[in-house]
Amino acid sequence: MELAAVGRDEFVQGFKLAGVRKTFSVDRDALEAQVAKVLDDANVGILILSVDDMKALSNTMRRRLETTPRPVVIAVGKREEEDLREKIKRAIGVDLYK
Amino acid sequence: MVLVQYKPTRSVLLQLRRTRRTAERGHRLLKLKQDALIVEFFRVLERAKAVRSNLVEKYRVAEARIAIARAIEGSIGVKSAALALTETPTLELKTKNVMGILVPKINAKSVRKTIDQRGYGIIGTSPRIDEAAEAYENLVEDVITAAEIETTMRRLIEEIEKVKRRVNALEYRVIPELKATEAFIRQRLEELERDNFMRLKRFKST
Repeated sequence: MELAAVGRDEFVQGFKLAGVRKTFSVDRDALEAQVAKVLDDANVGILILSVDDMKALSNTMRRRLETTPRPVVIAVGKREEEDLREKIKRAIGVDLYK
Repeated sequence: MVLVQYKPTRSVLLQLRRTRRTAERGHRLLKLKQDALIVEFFRVLERAKAVRSNLVEKYRVAEARIAIARAIEGSIGVKSAALALTETPTLELKTKNVMGILVPKINAKSVRKTIDQRGYGIIGTSPRIDEAAEAYENLVEDVITAAEIETTMRRLIEEIEKVKRRVNALEYRVIPELKATEAFIRQRLEELERDNFMRLKRFKST
């Protein structure tokens, strides 16, 4: 299995330099369709997205990314993910992800 | 709240008692599961926090390095170096079972490479590209670790929420309702028994 990165050209270029072959440089409008295509690719083990792109996706797609058993989806960015923090707060009752 | 669909008979009372006991046993087991999941969650949380802050830091470094490489070599230079790469990181994605939840276990190969393994010529490119490639290789290594840990954490949270909902439903709705219905049927049966007793007494006296 391989890694895949989807996002802006500047975002995916670095991953290409690290040897990630399945890099897809797309703009925001085509992002969701490309992510859906990658999800259907059986050879992708990890999908890398930027935190901002992850936020720009529709709720349905985000839910699909969270629940899909494969590929494992990870958001990378300069900021930490707020979504995970919220979930922890809801499940445990306290903000533990400080 | 008394459940109206049950008839006040002795057999229904026995059936309800059995259901309540099963519900109580289930509630106890689910509470134990919830506690075990929370312990597991706390174990993963510390690692996840460390990995996430590491990832953010490494992303910042990698972005800065590729920006320098782009400024010196140009976007085309960086792209052509990337196209020269022959080795790609490969993953082995397995699953492991944690308290009934399937979490990923990822093994990666060929993430870090030496300069000669990268495929582009040393003379044709500047060391800035090497630095950027190295920073991104470090980042990819951390991405793989973070993907495994964060997904485990996400699945644990989802399961904790699910178990919490079930525990609450049993504790605050199902068990109290069954208890109330049981009490109602018991009272009704006692009332019928008293009625019968009085009737018999009246017969006896006449």
